[in-house]
Amino acid sequence: MLIAATAAFANQDDETPSMTRRHQGILTGMPFMAHVSAQAYVDDAGRRMYFAKPPTRIVSLAPSITEMLFAMEAGDQLVGVTDFCDYPAEALKKPKVGYSNPNMESLVALQPDLVVAPNDFLKPDVIMKFEQLKIPVFILADKNVEGIFVHIQTLGRIVGRSPKADAVAMQLREQVAAIKQRVQGIAPVRMLYVLNSQPLITVGPGSFIDQLIGMAGGVNVAAKSAAPYPRLSMEAVLQEDPEVLVFPVGKAEGISESEQQTWRQWSTMTAVKRGRLHQIAADWLNRPGPRIAKGLESLAEILHPNHVTSSRVER
Amino acid sequence: MADIASSWANTGAVLTVHRWVTVIGGLLLASLAVLVLCLQFGATSVDVRTVATAIMHMLRADQGGSATLGTSEIIMVQIRFPRVLMGFFVGASLAAVGVTLQALLRNPLADPYVLGVSSGSALGVSLAILFGIGSTFLLLPVLPLFGFAGGLLALLLIYRLAQSKGRLPIHSLLLAGVILNAILTAFIMFITSIMEPNRSAGLMAWLMGSLTAPGYPALGVFAVYAVIILAVLMHKAQLLNVLSLGEETARSLGVNTEGVKKQLFAMTALLTGAIVSVSGMIGFVGMVVPHAVRLLIGSDHRLLLPASALVGGMFLALADTMARTVLAPAEIPVGIVTALAGGPFFLYLLLWRKDRMF
Repeated sequence: MLIAATAAFANQDDETPSMTRRHQGILTGMPFMAHVSAQAYVDDAGRRMYFAKPPTRIVSLAPSITEMLFAMEAGDQLVGVTDFCDYPAEALKKPKVGYSNPNMESLVALQPDLVVAPNDFLKPDVIMKFEQLKIPVFILADKNVEGIFVHIQTLGRIVGRSPKADAVAMQLREQVAAIKQRVQGIAPVRMLYVLNSQPLITVGPGSFIDQLIGMAGGVNVAAKSAAPYPRLSMEAVLQEDPEVLVFPVGKAEGISESEQQTWRQWSTMTAVKRGRLHQIAADWLNRPGPRIAKGLESLAEILHPNHVTSSRVER
Repeated sequence: MADIASSWANTGAVLTVHRWVTVIGGLLLASLAVLVLCLQFGATSVDVRTVATAIMHMLRADQGGSATLGTSEIIMVQIRFPRVLMGFFVGASLAAVGVTLQALLRNPLADPYVLGVSSGSALGVSLAILFGIGSTFLLLPVLPLFGFAGGLLALLLIYRLAQSKGRLPIHSLLLAGVILNAILTAFIMFITSIMEPNRSAGLMAWLMGSLTAPGYPALGVFAVYAVIILAVLMHKAQLLNVLSLGEETARSLGVNTEGVKKQLFAMTALLTGAIVSVSGMIGFVGMVVPHAVRLLIGSDHRLLLPASALVGGMFLALADTMARTVLAPAEIPVGIVTALAGGPFFLYLLLWRKDRMF
């Protein structure tokens, strides 16, 4: 009943938001609700949703979303996270609900008034189940870097932390712009991001990491692949001859040290000849969340060690 | 019984030495042509002369001089050539194991993955990936070693489960294999479900079956190993003919069926474990190539076995070439190509020679 009053889905009809709000308020015996200025939010799956008051029992279904909510100081509104939400440390104390196939029972037991879910990884029938259970799900799709900042601002408005969220997003935009500024005019460096080593999977056009590579003053050697996360041919790698190899490393994901060493067999590759095999924190670059600027800076330092670090010293 | 050479001469109209030599000789030439053809295609275009000079380099075996080679030669020598050869050996092994198991289990649906050994190998690799073990040991990559160890354990387990009173009944072998397959697959699914999605995507890509360019030591070990087991299977080909008549008949003809079954099971399992260790689970080749070849040349295993091996090798080498080039520079899992290219062709054969099926 409370859930029905505070948040509900609108059907695809042409009702105006205020009409819906007033109807809800009246129907649920809370006429004051009719005066709350209703705001419609459209998620990345094109579903429209209204919130009369900010949700206070939020479940996050992605580590990046958890990080966003903590960054906008909405951590206390978060009641459930995924098994892989390990940042910030407070997230580890939150109840776990699984990940791509969340445990619906423990999720429902948390009585969420909002579930924020990523478009990838989540099983399609999970979203249908939420709709059956009348639990609002807001879906975020990771397409590009600016989209991450927009997500932060949208979530901020939904959860009632708009000023802080806007400040976080603005700061991130400034950091990204500053890094772009620093690498501007420097000859770009050809690089390969080894998302998985065997078989080789990397990032291609359409993924935000591919976009970050460009922002950091790099050229993705997989730029010709027509998929966001292609299995890349080793022949193409040698042909494009990356100058830098970047391996994600971390606890839950990443390429092991010994696996990285196997890349030294390609002795004619410029990156191997120059010994430019670098590691980057997987959590910074792979998570489309508020630490993405750190990931970008780290990547820019790897690609342009002289320019990026020296300019930082000058500051 | 084992003296195959003399028995070929005795089979008269069905299988003559002349026919055997013609078919196998023709297929060997075709294989050579296919291998050369596959070397022409890849994510990068390398012209024919580069292919020739690269092969010359390899024949001279100047490994130390590889630094002087250009990128095109490196691509040929270090990536495309070993991968095409690996595809050929894996395809040949899959088809030969398929032929043997279809005869041994007297089941047309048998393929190399039916008896659970493959899942044992896959589980071994999954565990290695889960715990982040991934390097080389004595020049050999560790993942295949884990896979092979898993396959061996599964082999022993199935053998112990299936045998009773020193005998190895076919139905209990099949059942034990299928059940163990299900159990081990469940473990693999469990591992993928607890992994971080990015990593489980990598594991799934591996499980789907893929050929990568192996180093020459690994390729050499696999090739020698496969050829030895293929030779042993070839040596038993006449026994497969007898076994496919039924165990009772085989025993009445004086064949030690228990011994033969155990040997054949061990050989196919040893080869399957190695195949899965190096290439994951590439479907379709092991089941359909034997049927297609049987439709074309008949079911005498002395000819069927080597012919299937050669056709399987050619088929997988060609399929992998398509997998490498269709979406270049991206690759697609080779199992998709084997099913999409092989399936319709097999249906065509089926309609054309329905009467000769089995």
